[in-house]
Amino acid sequence: MDRVYDDKIRLLLVDDEEGFRRTISKRLAKRGMIPVQASDGEECLGILKTTPMDVVVLDVKMPGISGIDTLRLIKQEFENIQVILLTGNVAVSDGIDGIKSGAFDYLTKPVEIDHLVNKIKQAFEIIQLEKEKQKERGYREKLEKKMIDTERLVSLGTMSTGIAHEINNPLAIINESAGFMKQVISSPEMSMFSQKDALLLGIEKIEKSIKRARKITHELLGHVKKQDSQFSQANLKALLYETLGLLKREIKNKQININWEIDPKKNMVWSDPYQLRQVMMNLLSNAIHALGENGSITLSTRETSEDIILEIKDDGIGIPKENLGKIFDPFFTTKPFDEGTGLGLFVAHKILSGLGCKIDVTSTVGKGTCFQIRLPKYDKSNE
Amino acid sequence: MIKIPIKILIVDDEKDFVEMFSLRLKKQGEKVSTAYNGKDALKVLETVPIDVVILDIRMPGMDGIDTLKQIKTLHPIVEVILLTGHGSTETAVEGMKLGAFDYLMKPADFKDINVKLENARKRKDEQEERIRQAEARLLLRRSGDF
Ligand SMILES: Nc1ncnc2c1ncn2[C@@H]1O[C@H](COP(=O)(O)OP(=O)(O)O)[C@@H](O)[C@H]1O
Ligand SMILES: [Mg+2]
Repeated sequence: MDRVYDDKIRLLLVDDEEGFRRTISKRLAKRGMIPVQASDGEECLGILKTTPMDVVVLDVKMPGISGIDTLRLIKQEFENIQVILLTGNVAVSDGIDGIKSGAFDYLTKPVEIDHLVNKIKQAFEIIQLEKEKQKERGYREKLEKKMIDTERLVSLGTMSTGIAHEINNPLAIINESAGFMKQVISSPEMSMFSQKDALLLGIEKIEKSIKRARKITHELLGHVKKQDSQFSQANLKALLYETLGLLKREIKNKQININWEIDPKKNMVWSDPYQLRQVMMNLLSNAIHALGENGSITLSTRETSEDIILEIKDDGIGIPKENLGKIFDPFFTTKPFDEGTGLGLFVAHKILSGLGCKIDVTSTVGKGTCFQIRLPKYDKSNE
Repeated sequence: MIKIPIKILIVDDEKDFVEMFSLRLKKQGEKVSTAYNGKDALKVLETVPIDVVILDIRMPGMDGIDTLKQIKTLHPIVEVILLTGHGSTETAVEGMKLGAFDYLMKPADFKDINVKLENARKRKDEQEERIRQAEARLLLRRSGDF
C-alpha cells in the first residue's frame, strides 16, 4: 500500500516509556505514519476527546488507568476507533482479555515494526469497511423508507380511486331517491301533512351529506389517467385561461387581480393538456381560497435549458412552516369539512409525477405562497 | 308557463338508479324512457321519439362510448348527455369530441341536470329548425329551377 494511504491513518501511540515511544514513532514515520503520542491512559482519553483518531496503539502496563481499562473506556465512547494492544512478553493473558474487551489485536513487546505497521493497516481497513457498511445501511434505510412512502401513496391512490368509483353509483341512487322523496313531499297533495317540514329537514341533511361525499369521490377521480393519455404540444397560457374561466365566479366575488407575466416565447410545453388543466384547477382554487378581497394571483413562466417553470403565486395567507411537509398528503386540509377535502394537492402531485414534472412550494405566512411546476419544454423533436 | 316535456331516454345498467332517476324526471313533467344497455337504447331510439339521451359511460368496456358513436351515426339530431360514475372528465371530454352535448359526474346535482337538459333540448330544436329552413330553401331553389 502506498504512502498517501498510510498518511491518512490518524494514529495515537500510548506508552509510559518515553524512549520506547520515540523509537517507535520514528520508525513509523519512516513508513509514512506519524503518530500522536500520549504517556498514559488519562492523556490518551483527553486527546481522543478533542482529536479524532482511527487507530490507537496502547501499552497494557502503564501507571494510572491500566491499559485494559483505557481500552474499555475508548470502546465505550468511540466505537469506530480500533485499538491494538502492546503487552509484555510474559502477559499473554492480558492480550486475550484485551481482545475480549474489543481490541483489534495484540502484539507482544519487543515489537517488530513491520508487524505493527501491518496490524495498523489492517485495523484501518476494518474501519473503512465498517464505515462503508454504515453508509450503505443508512442509504438502504432511506431508500426503503422512500419506497414504502411511494408504494403507500401509489396503492393508496389506486385503492382510493377504486373506492371512489364504487361509491359514486350507490351515492347517485341515494341522491335520486332523496330528490324524488323531496318532490313527493313538496307536492300539493302533501300540503296538509303536519310532519312535512320534519321530513324535508331530514332529506335536506341527506342531500348535504351526499354533496360532501361527492366532493371527496370527485376529487379522487380527478387524477384517473385515461389509458391513452396523450402528450402533445400544450400552451400554458391558454390552459390557464381556460381554467380561470371555470373559476370566474369566485374570482369576481373576491375581486381578485390576475397578473399575467407569461412570456409567449416561454409558454409551450410537451405534456398532457387535460391533466395539466386539472393541476392548474387545483392550484388556482387553493390560491383563490387563500386570498381575501382584492388579492392578486401572479402567473409567470421562466425557462431553463430543458424546462419551462410555471409559477402560480398568490399574496394570500401563506402556509405555516410546520404544514409545508404535509400539504401534499392525502386528506391534509386546514379548511372546514364542507370546503376542503385535502385531496387537491395530493392529486396535483400525483398527476405531475405521472407526467414527469416536479412541483415545489415556497410560502411565508401573511405574505403568500408560490407553487412552481417544472415542465418539459416543447420542441419539434418531441413529436 | 306551460312546461313542454322533454323526451328523455336514460341508459344505465344500474337499475335502481334508472328507476329513481326516471321517477324524479317524470314527477317534474318529462317524458322518460329507459334502457339498461346500449343495444336496448338503440332499439328504443328506433321506435320512440327522443330529444335527449342521458347515457352512462362505463370506463372499462367503453361500451358507453360505442353506444354514443352509434347514436350519433344513426340519430345525429338526438342530443346525448354523458353521465359517469367512473372515470375522469377526460373520458367525458373525449365523448364530447364524439358529439356528446355535455357530461355530468355521478352523483349529479339535479339543478345541473335540468340546466343541461334544457340546453340540450334547445340545441336540438335549433338544429331541427335549421334543417327545416335548409330543406325549405332547397325546395324553393328546386321549384325555381323549373
Ligand atoms: N395557495 C395556498 N395558500 C395557503 N395555503 C394553501 C395553499 N394551497 C394549499 N394550501 C394548504 O394546503 C392544504 C391542502 O390543500 P389541498 O390538498 O388542495 O386540499 P384542500 O384545498 O381541500 O384543503 C390546504 O388546506 C391549505 O392549508
Ligand atoms: Mg384544494
